[in-house]
Amino acid sequence: MSLLGNILAGMFGGRAPRDSGQSAQRMAEWDAALQHNRLPSFVAARLGAAAAGKTPWIATMSAAELGLARRRGIRPLAMVSGTCWYHYGYSWTRGHAEGWHHALQRLQLEARALGANAVLDVKLRRIELTIGDSMDFTLVGTAVRIDGVPAGAQPIVATVPALEFVRLIEADIVPVGIAIGAQYQFLDPGVGFIAQSILGTAPNRSFSLTASSAARVQGSLRPFTNAPLPELGQFWEGIRRQALAELLRDGQRQGTGVLAHTHLGQLLKVERGNNSPPRFLGRHIVIGTVVDTRRASGVPHEIRTVVDMRDALSPLTRETPPAHNAYPVREQEGAI
Amino acid sequence: MSDAKDIPAHALERLRGLRGEGHPGGIFTSDFSVNEFLLVRKAGFEPIGLCIGSCIYHVGIQYGSWNKNQELEMLSQAMYEARELAMVRMREEAAGMGADGIVGVELTVKRLEWDEHILEFMAIGTGVVHAKGHPGFKGPKEQPFTSDLSGQDFWTLLHAGYRPLEMVMGSCVYHVAHQGMLRSMGNVGRNTELTNFSQALYDAREIAMERMQNEAIEAGAEGVVGVDLHEGSHNWQPHVIEFFAVGTAVTPITSEQDASVIPDPQLVLSVNS
Repeated sequence: MSLLGNILAGMFGGRAPRDSGQSAQRMAEWDAALQHNRLPSFVAARLGAAAAGKTPWIATMSAAELGLARRRGIRPLAMVSGTCWYHYGYSWTRGHAEGWHHALQRLQLEARALGANAVLDVKLRRIELTIGDSMDFTLVGTAVRIDGVPAGAQPIVATVPALEFVRLIEADIVPVGIAIGAQYQFLDPGVGFIAQSILGTAPNRSFSLTASSAARVQGSLRPFTNAPLPELGQFWEGIRRQALAELLRDGQRQGTGVLAHTHLGQLLKVERGNNSPPRFLGRHIVIGTVVDTRRASGVPHEIRTVVDMRDALSPLTRETPPAHNAYPVREQEGAI
Repeated sequence: MSDAKDIPAHALERLRGLRGEGHPGGIFTSDFSVNEFLLVRKAGFEPIGLCIGSCIYHVGIQYGSWNKNQELEMLSQAMYEARELAMVRMREEAAGMGADGIVGVELTVKRLEWDEHILEFMAIGTGVVHAKGHPGFKGPKEQPFTSDLSGQDFWTLLHAGYRPLEMVMGSCVYHVAHQGMLRSMGNVGRNTELTNFSQALYDAREIAMERMQNEAIEAGAEGVVGVDLHEGSHNWQPHVIEFFAVGTAVTPITSEQDASVIPDPQLVLSVNS
């Protein structure tokens, strides 16, 4: 340590601040790590020590989960995370899908370094800092090793906590990953609407609207008329269907089913001024837990039915927020 | 009550009124719910009294360079030291009342409205003692253990074969650089990662984790349970964020239980909901 470092160490009661050379070196390591999809040496060292059992394990598990995990031969190793701060230029919707995908890859990179079999209790998170048209996409979870299971190339990513993970495994349902579907489209009355799939695989359907249907889309029907707005409805339905189709494709790559808990859909009317007719923007994001299971496997658990005698606030009926839900996000204006 | 030398006279007075060794007629105080009380008893412990530690702390000013990702060490140190002081004072109270440990610790930070630089840190929990005087439940260095687990989780933890040692935490206050997004104006219309922001979050989280882990090593723990990792901004400018990791360090109970005796939870379905 330098002389200055010694003096600072004295001032800070032994907790020396990192000197600027050290912190610049750390930054350079992060830079190289993110570019080449690897881990900085100090992260690799921490995870290596945790994998070898040289340092205490770290787990988001509750006490009950710890007990159950121990009984089932599941050992926590360390907390792992994946972060990607993503700027959405031409597409807000696509930015969300890509941001989560990147974060997921990085979470798996840390889990592989641990020789983990699975990452449990994975939560989708973001911090409360929005810079321009960008935000962070963060996944955090607890990496575990399961006794008797060799470390695979691709650890399971489970959005469920350990308690539910064990129950699912016992019922022959393996939560294996996260699937994402995202889709947006513009409806430009009079011009037709441009379909854009996030993977670029959906056909570019183009609808031309007649003058009367354009009037319907724009809501310029007389106030006392009851009428469905088929064009707008069809447009919106199409977006949702394509988002779900993409979720399905993403899920098919990983397992046999998707439990889609997170839906975010917005249909926005965009005024353009200059006597131009308004256009509509529809966007839909759906995120789910991918599971791998055989058809019609039974559930081995006995379930006891109870009549709960409390009038209100029973812990059995109280709503708990879904653990993995990063939405609703704040309404983002600006780029789609 | 030899450990209680820093506790003011009126607090000592209060401690003497509590039930404890040599004071069977005293009463206990606790913020337990009924269910927590029952389960702490079921676990073989008795509540003695509420333990409080607080610390009002003036947090100095430190500015990050506008365009640099960096830890603001002075703020990290302030947040860490203030929490530590509150915890130590709470533990002193517990030691003074002869408690084996404190369960259900709540650690809160509050800004005082008349000065943005002054933060109030408070730790509160219920001091408990083993009903039969078992000596094996103290924390590190024969001090009372501390844990943020509820009474229910305390019972469950003991049944899982572990006992709590100490609440461990790691803090890192970090300045996220302003520059970067517009490093090249050509990026504005592109969907692209802003790696310098990603790096900032990674680095800050890594530092907080390392610090919490170091505390766990020092406590001689096997692991840390119930870890909560969260980000907060205590009225700082928007680019300054605290990453805070906290959990309960645990160790296996002396006579280690066989894993097969850990009770399997039973599934129930409430049919009148």
